[in-house]
Amino acid sequence: MSTVEQVKRRFGAGTVPLLTKRLRQALSVVLFFALWAVLVRLEVLGFGRFVGPVPALSTFVSALLGAPMTGSGATIYQHAAFSAMRVVVAMVLATATAIPLGLLIGANRRWEDALFPALEVFRPVPPVAWVPIALLLLPTFRSGVLFVVFVGAFFPILVNTIEGVDTVDEEYLRAAESLGADSREVFRHVIFPATLPSIVTGVSTGVGLAWITVVAAEMIAGGIGIGYIIFQAYRLLQTDVVAVGMIAIGVLGYASAALVYRIGNRLTEWQTID
Amino acid sequence: MSNQTQTTREPTMEGEPTPEKTGAIDIENLTKVYDPEGERVVAVDDMDLQIGAEEFVALLGPSGCGKSTVMNCIAGYLEPTEGEVLVDGNRVSGPDPKRGVVFQDNRLFPWKTIQENVEFGPQMNDGVEEGRARSILDEMGLDGFEDAYPSGLSGGMQQRAELARLLANDPDIMLMDEPFSALDALTKEIMQKKLIEVWERDNRTVLFITHDVEEAILLADRVVVMTARPGQVKDVIDVDLDRPRDPEVVTTDRFTELRERALSVIREEAQRALEQEEGEV
Repeated sequence: MSTVEQVKRRFGAGTVPLLTKRLRQALSVVLFFALWAVLVRLEVLGFGRFVGPVPALSTFVSALLGAPMTGSGATIYQHAAFSAMRVVVAMVLATATAIPLGLLIGANRRWEDALFPALEVFRPVPPVAWVPIALLLLPTFRSGVLFVVFVGAFFPILVNTIEGVDTVDEEYLRAAESLGADSREVFRHVIFPATLPSIVTGVSTGVGLAWITVVAAEMIAGGIGIGYIIFQAYRLLQTDVVAVGMIAIGVLGYASAALVYRIGNRLTEWQTID
Repeated sequence: MSNQTQTTREPTMEGEPTPEKTGAIDIENLTKVYDPEGERVVAVDDMDLQIGAEEFVALLGPSGCGKSTVMNCIAGYLEPTEGEVLVDGNRVSGPDPKRGVVFQDNRLFPWKTIQENVEFGPQMNDGVEEGRARSILDEMGLDGFEDAYPSGLSGGMQQRAELARLLANDPDIMLMDEPFSALDALTKEIMQKKLIEVWERDNRTVLFITHDVEEAILLADRVVVMTARPGQVKDVIDVDLDRPRDPEVVTTDRFTELRERALSVIREEAQRALEQEEGEV
């Protein structure tokens, strides 16, 4: 037995793990709550003003049972549904516009010259910075929030799509042409599938940004939604509700990232097979 | 698609006379200059070469001598700066399924299964014939891998699959750019044998680019040795070894003679290429 194997065995990293994977994952959650409790109990920084994990969890449970949140009267499900709906609609609009536009810009130099420089100027502007102009230009606050979330998701998808097209190996195009493909067939059978992994990356990044943006926008102008209740609760010093809102965002963000990951893997199955 | 006019060149292989041989390549005063406005890199300079229909020609030369440029002009990927390439009397103006290409590191489409890759050409042209891909894959020893993705195959199998994809399209001409250079010695030998088998049966023209002198002599009817950049034809060696050639042919005196002849030309050119590079630095 080699030294490495001995060391591994001693520390349980070999065939007989110290803890199962699930247990270790559960441990990380437990440790997190323990740290939270300790910080609150010892009043580190401003933690003395914040709720501890036990009352937060109890508020969480009653929220899950349908108790209305803050003064709005709406349940956590209604708030979550509004935020999720904004993310879904914005994602649908962003993918439907950014992917075709990215393919067009990437595949055609003339379109790139005509469109990309203007887009490039807007790209570094943080989505939240669009809030004032969105509220001014759009008829309702709700459409303003939706627009800002759309902007957040749009650019990562666009940029990744363009880059995906740009990095398609030219010899694939040549191979397809020599096999008899015309330019439409080259696009369909080579450029698009070759770009798909980049598009998936863009959509994953986009959905993450959409959640960040929706919370920020709702804090400013939501009227309803998880971002709205987090900020309302903060104003009312209901720190347990703040914590519940954060947990809800974490769960929803994680679930949507996992969904995009699954769909992406399915679409680019050829990549992962060894 | 195959209404090419017959060219005058005598076939170098004996065999049943086919009514109309296709796949003759005529390179006339081919010059290719990269970046003509700026640095002007002359890759190929006024090159002439005739390749007969159904002939197997190896293009041999030091690296950077413009071998691939010549091939890319025949494939239709590059526009010659001057001169032209004729295939069966018609000027090459772009890629064509009658001129199939095998790339150095294969360019199987990773997002398509092996069968989909092999059926790609027919799908783009006359339509897919049921069972044909399977029989070609069987012949290439790839039965059972129809539904695998290229990433699931070894390098040698990928190269066989690329050859299968080409054959499914039934090209007159096979352009092969150092197709076996990345393979281990044993796989390489198997692939060489397979290629010769396919070529002898199907009456196709093969232009085979390599920097391996023994490989060139072992496979080709004629070995065309190119000069260092700018590329031109330095020497044409008729390989008069009987076919089929088994691997032991490399031990014969005639093989050694041919190899020495090719090597001496190559050495001279490699030396010249080196001095050129040093001059440029």
